[in-house]
Amino acid sequence: MADRRQKPIVKIASHARFSDMTNIRRHRPDYLIVLYMGLLMLLGLIIMYAIGPQRANVLNNAYGSNYSNTYFFVKQAISLSLALFVFVVMSVLPYTWVTKYADKLVLLSLAACALLAIAGWANWGIAQQTLGATRWFNLGSLGTLQPAELLKFSLLIFAASFLGAKSSQGKINDLQDTLIPLAIIVCISMLFIVVIQKDLGTGISLVSIIVSMLFVGGINKKNSLMALLLLVLGGVMLIVIAPHRIERITTYLKGDDSSTKDSSSYHIEHAKIAIGTGGLFGVGIGNSVQATGYLPEAINDSVFAIMGEMFGFVGLMTILAIFVALLLRLLKVMDHLVDMRLKLLAAGVFGWFGSHVILNVASMVGVFPLTGITLPLLSFGGTSILFITAALGLVFQLSRYTVHSSHLKEAQHENSSSRRGIGRSRYSSRSSVTRN
Amino acid sequence: MNLELQKGSRSKKLIAMVAIIMAIFVMRLFYLQIIRHDYYVGLADEEQVKRLTIPSKRGNIYGLNGNTPVPLVLNQTVYTVFADPQTVTDDDKIIEVIKRVAGGNARSDLQALLDKANSRYQILATKVTRAQANLIKNENLNGIGFQEESQRVYPEGSLAAQTLGFLNFNGEARYGVESKLNSRLTGTDGLLQSVTDVSDVPLTIGDNNINQPAVDGENIVLSIDRNVQSHVEQFLADGLKRTGATNGSAIVMDPQTGKIMAMANLPTYSPAEFNKVEDAAVFNNGVVSAPYEPGSDVKTLTMATGIDKGVVSANSTYVNTDYIQVEDRTITNATLGQTGTITFQHALNWSLNTGFVTVAERLGDGKSVNRQSRDIMYDYFHNKFKLGQLTGVEVAGEAAGIVISPDKSEGNAVRYSNMSFGQGLDVTMVQVAAAFSSIVNGGKYYKPTVLAGIVNSDGKYIANKIASASNTVSESTANQVREMAHVARNVFFNSVDKAGYYIGGKTGTSQVIKDGVYSDNETVGTYLGYGGSEETSRYVIMVQVSGDNMELQGSRDALPIFTDISNWMIDYLKIEPKV
Repeated sequence: MADRRQKPIVKIASHARFSDMTNIRRHRPDYLIVLYMGLLMLLGLIIMYAIGPQRANVLNNAYGSNYSNTYFFVKQAISLSLALFVFVVMSVLPYTWVTKYADKLVLLSLAACALLAIAGWANWGIAQQTLGATRWFNLGSLGTLQPAELLKFSLLIFAASFLGAKSSQGKINDLQDTLIPLAIIVCISMLFIVVIQKDLGTGISLVSIIVSMLFVGGINKKNSLMALLLLVLGGVMLIVIAPHRIERITTYLKGDDSSTKDSSSYHIEHAKIAIGTGGLFGVGIGNSVQATGYLPEAINDSVFAIMGEMFGFVGLMTILAIFVALLLRLLKVMDHLVDMRLKLLAAGVFGWFGSHVILNVASMVGVFPLTGITLPLLSFGGTSILFITAALGLVFQLSRYTVHSSHLKEAQHENSSSRRGIGRSRYSSRSSVTRN
Repeated sequence: MNLELQKGSRSKKLIAMVAIIMAIFVMRLFYLQIIRHDYYVGLADEEQVKRLTIPSKRGNIYGLNGNTPVPLVLNQTVYTVFADPQTVTDDDKIIEVIKRVAGGNARSDLQALLDKANSRYQILATKVTRAQANLIKNENLNGIGFQEESQRVYPEGSLAAQTLGFLNFNGEARYGVESKLNSRLTGTDGLLQSVTDVSDVPLTIGDNNINQPAVDGENIVLSIDRNVQSHVEQFLADGLKRTGATNGSAIVMDPQTGKIMAMANLPTYSPAEFNKVEDAAVFNNGVVSAPYEPGSDVKTLTMATGIDKGVVSANSTYVNTDYIQVEDRTITNATLGQTGTITFQHALNWSLNTGFVTVAERLGDGKSVNRQSRDIMYDYFHNKFKLGQLTGVEVAGEAAGIVISPDKSEGNAVRYSNMSFGQGLDVTMVQVAAAFSSIVNGGKYYKPTVLAGIVNSDGKYIANKIASASNTVSESTANQVREMAHVARNVFFNSVDKAGYYIGGKTGTSQVIKDGVYSDNETVGTYLGYGGSEETSRYVIMVQVSGDNMELQGSRDALPIFTDISNWMIDYLKIEPKV
């Protein structure tokens, strides 16, 4: 084994299999991922503390509910604690073990989506209906669960293994073996998420995951164009079947000329008012007026606009910088992974995280039609945070197995078997299991 | 190798994509937050900042019941019921309900109002009480709305109506204390400007919030005593009935403070129904706003001037021939036959004009009412007794009247001769009563006032301090004239007063100027007097009765009203009789 490690990275890559994880020394992970994620989580928690009371007040007034001032803060704190736990689990649970169940996980989540559809149609109590859509399982005191997020997560892992293997075999552009089966799975998923659950945002983020993988996996121009064509056709169809989406596009096309008086542009105009009133430095934390009921979804999808009001241009620049830094970390890890399956997983997480950030911000600043999608780690909402941290946990795990030029030098010049033998032997013992 | 390079370049493409999108975001945010900042702040303010006027409450007006304030004017919330003819569904039911509940407050032509299909606002009934409004609300009629407004109510009905005044339909103060003290009664509306949440609940966010509470108007306590006022009104009404006079006015003052305990004018009206009054003259408080030639009661003031100047005394004498020549005019006594050498007390008892022209002459060279005499009279009448000057009593529409100065050509000897017995000068009753009070109290002139104090926001009565007085005549002069008036009353009318009290007064019967000349078939009867113990006079009462083409006399027509009031006052004030 030692001799294999001394080969140049190119050679390692050409022989790349899953087992390479075990061949590369487990090293210090990329703690910057944890740092950026932690910063964003902390910021989200502060926001919940600042505007939670207003949100509670608005809901209590509108629906006669009885949320306390700290309800949203405490709930977010619990979600984040759970998410951190999941992050730790995902960062130590061997990735190879997770991938083994990827296909079963996909089936399970599709089944969950089907069950939700049936439950929603039959009006069972387990299906929570909100605004004419059934997106959540209501698990009583345990809270709610969005099966679409589970589906996204399982498809991430499944597609990474599937496309990674095909890419390594040079069959990434093979219609029969690769693209058509993938398209079928994606179409089934989109049917559940976008058509039945009417959740275009989650649908777009799922497509983004797959597209990122295909892009990094080496899809060629011809197939890219074909995929793009399919996506545009699918997108147009999905927009045409839903009148509210057409309305959002018309509103979008009005640009900054849309009016607050117009009900269809109420949301986007108030997002712009919130952002615009922030100015350079913002009105200060806790001083958001738009959060007192003017801006819809202030703690969820519109939290970026509220941050714009509270922290101003400078604050938003800082927040965007953290998001970009995290996205770049994901790409850096991806670049330095050798196994294509691992690379594509990192690409998928990039697509997931990136699509959420970009779509959400683009919607809020009015450069894209309003799409209901969460701002990862900042928006209020358990399921969304839970699965995105799970995905980040996997990348964090993979960041232990990146190969850098310094490592190669080390591998070339040092007889490290004596120094780092423990780590290696511990994982090499699993090599037989994962080599399949 | 080839594959590896390609992969590296793809991640660079992803980075480039992120960079481009972020650049768009940064530019867009710069546009929204920096360039368009003011625009969006404007939009936000338009929506978030609410301005609310907090109406201030108009002050109540109180009178006194002894030393306790009692409400004379209060506020009540009433409702205007209106319909939106375009959303009304059941005309018949609306008409039935409104007529049944609002009664006389409903408009008469309800069906016609509801038929105005182009209108969105038709008033169906006004001044509906809260209870009535609730009854209408409970019927759940479509298209019916309510507007809340505040209305003045008068627990004592028409009591002291001309002193109080009223608010017209536009809420503007008219006449009386309401008008004169409008600024004190009105208060200041408050302003609430606040950033609010979406359901208009004010927030503490932002530094442009204004919270200026409404300052309610002052609750004013009048010196008008409810009991005195109502009895004076009653005695006056009885007197008018007895004499056939159509108009009467009376004032009761405390000579020791200048506080007016009652001012009555007949005919009167009910301030709650001011709109039913046909002749606006009844709104005027004649006591303060109707100057007239008061007649012989002014002889007390002429006498005081003479005594104060040391030219006459009660017992000094002159020769009465019933006639006296002043320049080209001959002045005659109204009562003839008291000729010969008589005292000035005698002249006052019989109200002989020649006696007081003589006093006027003695103020000068003793032969004529010369310039020196006129200057002295003017100084006393106008400057000291403040006749022909606004007193500043807190009732709107006060008239100054006129005492013509000797500097003017009209201020000649004839006029000043007439003035010495109460003709040729225009004064109000309140002026005369205040001047006479200074005779009764030892020479101190108190500004007449209807104010006793205020009721503060805690409901506590805070009485005004008694204003400082100016001097009219010396105490000895005042006491001599007071005694002369007592003697004059008791010469003819000693049996009508309660025994053991010290009452005095002077009649007045004055001709009325109509179209510039003295009418020969109309006179005004006046009585001016005081009462109390011998040591202290507790009240000054002035009564005046008149009527178109009626010859009313001070002694026959006004004096009995004085006597009724005076005897009642003695009981009311619980004055101890002299044993």
